[in-house]
Amino acid sequence: MSTLTEPTLSDLLAILDEVWGSFLSSPEPLLPASDDGMNHGTSAAVTITGDWRGIVVVETSRPVAEEVTRRMLMLDAVTPDDVADAMGELVNIVGGQVKSLTGGQSTLSLPIVASGHLVQPSEARELCRADLVWIGEPVRVTVLSVRTP
Amino acid sequence: MEPDPMHVLIIDDSRAMRSILRRIVTDLGFTAVEAANGQEALDHLEAGLRPELCTIDWNMPVMDGYTFVSRVRSTPEWRDITLMMVTTESEHGQIVKALAAGAHEYVIKPFTPDAIADKFELLGVRAGVVA
Repeated sequence: MSTLTEPTLSDLLAILDEVWGSFLSSPEPLLPASDDGMNHGTSAAVTITGDWRGIVVVETSRPVAEEVTRRMLMLDAVTPDDVADAMGELVNIVGGQVKSLTGGQSTLSLPIVASGHLVQPSEARELCRADLVWIGEPVRVTVLSVRTP
Repeated sequence: MEPDPMHVLIIDDSRAMRSILRRIVTDLGFTAVEAANGQEALDHLEAGLRPELCTIDWNMPVMDGYTFVSRVRSTPEWRDITLMMVTTESEHGQIVKALAAGAHEYVIKPFTPDAIADKFELLGVRAGVVA
C-alpha cells in the first residue's frame, strides 16, 4: 500500500492555476480573496473513495459559473443545463488532480451540481480551502477529508 | 473494414468536454462524432462508423471507458481503431489497467490543445492519413 498524502492549500492553488490557465485559457488570474464575498450561486462536488476518502467542492457566483461555461462551450448564450454540465466537468478535473495527490487507490464519483450551498456531511472535516476572485467574482474551492467509518 | 481516417469518435459524458475536444480535433482536420458514454459509442460502431481514433473518458454513466476499451478490443473487426483515454484518472494503476486493456495512449485532464495534437502525432494519426 502506498503512502497517503493529504493535499495542502499550496497544492490546491497550484491545481487551480493549472486548470484555469490551461483549460479555461484564462488570461485573468485567480486572485486571493477574503471569504466575505461568497454567495454560493452554484456548487459542484465530487467524492473520492478508497484508500483516501474526501470531497472536493467548487462554489462560485452565478456569473463565474456562466463565464466558465461560455469559455468551455465557446458560446455566447448558455442554458442552466450547460452550466451544470460545465461546472460538473470543472469539479471533475479539479477532483481528479486532488485524487492524484493523495496516493493510494481511490475512485472518483460522478459530479453533482446544485444551485446554492451544498451541505457537508457531518463526518467531513475541512482540509484546505481556497477563497479566490476571478473576473471580479468569488470562487471557493474546498477539500474535505471524510473519516473512515 | 478499414478505419475512416477522417473521423474521431469523442466519448465523454460532459457536453462541455466533448465541445472542447471537438474543436481541437476539427482544427486538426478531422470530423468529430460524439457519444455521451461507452454504450452510445458502441452503438456508433455497431452502426458501421469506423473512426480512426476514439478519445475516451473513464468515468461515465451507463458504460465507463474501461469497459468500452475492453469491448472494442474483444471485437476483431474493430481492432484497427486507435484508442486514447482522455480522463482525470491519473493513478499509475489505472493507467496500466487501461493500457493493458488495449488503450494506445493516455491523456490526463486538464490538457492543452497542443498536448492532444502531440499525442495524435505520436500515434501517427493524421487527418486523411492512416499510419
